[in-house]
Amino acid sequence: MTKAKRQPVAISIPDRRDAALTLGPALLVFAFGFLSPLINLAIESLKEFTPGRVGSVENAAATVQNYYELANQAFASVLMTTFWIGGVAAIIGQLVAFPLAYFIVRRISPRMRALTLGFLITLVLSSVLIKTYAIELTFGSVGIFRPLLLTLGFSPNSREYINIVVTAGLVHSIIPVATLTLIGAMQSIDPRLLDAAQSLGAPGWKAHLSITLPLSFPALISSTLVSLTFAISAFVIPMVLGRGRVLFISNVIYTRFSDIANYPSGAAISLVMLAAALAVVAVITFAQAWKVSR
Amino acid sequence: MSRQSLAARTGDRIAVSLAYGVIGLGLAFLAIPLAITCLMAFDARTYLGPLPPPALSLHWFERLVSQADILTSLRTSLILAVLTTVLSVTVGTAAAVGLARGNFPGKAALTSAFLSPLIVPPVVIGFGLLLFLSKAGITNGMARLLLGHVIVTLPYCIRTSLASLLGSDQRLTEAAMVLGATERQAFWTITLPLMRTGVVTGAIFAFAISIDDVSISLFLSDPSATTLPVTLVSNMRAAFDLTIAAAAVVLIAVTALLIVVLDRVVGFDTVVGQGLFRS
Repeated sequence: MTKAKRQPVAISIPDRRDAALTLGPALLVFAFGFLSPLINLAIESLKEFTPGRVGSVENAAATVQNYYELANQAFASVLMTTFWIGGVAAIIGQLVAFPLAYFIVRRISPRMRALTLGFLITLVLSSVLIKTYAIELTFGSVGIFRPLLLTLGFSPNSREYINIVVTAGLVHSIIPVATLTLIGAMQSIDPRLLDAAQSLGAPGWKAHLSITLPLSFPALISSTLVSLTFAISAFVIPMVLGRGRVLFISNVIYTRFSDIANYPSGAAISLVMLAAALAVVAVITFAQAWKVSR
Repeated sequence: MSRQSLAARTGDRIAVSLAYGVIGLGLAFLAIPLAITCLMAFDARTYLGPLPPPALSLHWFERLVSQADILTSLRTSLILAVLTTVLSVTVGTAAAVGLARGNFPGKAALTSAFLSPLIVPPVVIGFGLLLFLSKAGITNGMARLLLGHVIVTLPYCIRTSLASLLGSDQRLTEAAMVLGATERQAFWTITLPLMRTGVVTGAIFAFAISIDDVSISLFLSDPSATTLPVTLVSNMRAAFDLTIAAAAVVLIAVTALLIVVLDRVVGFDTVVGQGLFRS
């Protein structure tokens, strides 16, 4: 038997029929449930809106009016709120997640580690609704801490306090995800590097600043950006905790749909939001490529 | 030298207490609101009062199960979650096999296309589907919800199945076929069992995401088909009382159950290794 004749056993898809059978259903779902709606959304965003109608008129004139109308103070402030609160929440989340991840990887017993991981995974998988309700019940304006807030001189109805509650809601969801993301990076840092730095005379905090932090920096960047993507597409958290006074982009889309049925404008805002999300993802991809190239 | 090391030790002590302070505060911030919610759900008072409850009772749970709209939407949610899981796992596993074993140009592009619904904000998916399905003439609430939920859970099922398929040894399948198994026998007896962890993780994710989703369901629900989270959100906005705390206790129990299953079948480390982001 010559070498050339030794064929690998054919376990690749032998014919087109099998490829259609395995990939076909997913392609169908993807094309019908995702791609077509997005394309339709783009078309709808260019349609003229007739007030008092649900949706656009059939064969309505093409217009960029829906985008043009977004260039106003009100929408700019919604964008600002979304990115400002989302950014602050993403950063606070990392400030807690970073030491927590290190603690879980290096400082606790396997038993405690499983317990803490179980708690964090439960938080990730449990409903955003429960977490939002829990935050509102605890810190909200009618919540348990209301008497305490009033004693301390905080007005639970002030815009500033509502901002804080929305940020708290986002941080509550961000910490578990960010911690689980950072654990992966921490696990691949060789603990002997820290020992080496310390045996060479560096104090512990300095060793962490010059070893743990730089080595997990790329993961920290992508964790921050993933948290930011989560925050800027948040919907339930600002809707419930913001009580109509703090609005995120997604809340405006919902209002366009439910209150005034201005679908073309909702579609235009959706595309703006999609562009914002894609921009953040592009930065993540860039950060990861940078991490690989280093 | 000794003064220097004393300074270093003081610095360390400050840094360590700072880190432990942050960790402690962080964990407390995560746990306390949930603990308060669980405690308040058993409050005997008929109104929302300050902590602690003077007496405990199950009357909020009784009120919860006496609400017809809650029970109807719970039923819808459970049926929907089961259908979503079955459909997503079947379609996703098949796609993962096709992506892992197939040889065709554009495989990488197709893989990332299948995963792309993960990066699109759920509200955009929900609103887009609503517009498109209305135009396409699909008005059945359950069908709309099912399509919306499958779209967001399918990427998870494909990703977890694909990961476990690529991580398992292909030569085992080859060996089965060398020993005379047909392609189909090799798939059912070797390849599929090897993918088990990925398929199970995907199924648990799909179920958990479907049963919790608000952003998409709020657009696609109609009077004939409303999910539990959608009913809870509208109740929460109408009147803020403790029936929702009771609902939260039930949902936390369901999630905890899923987590125990996840740990027993797969193990947490596998899940952590694959990352868990979700918006």
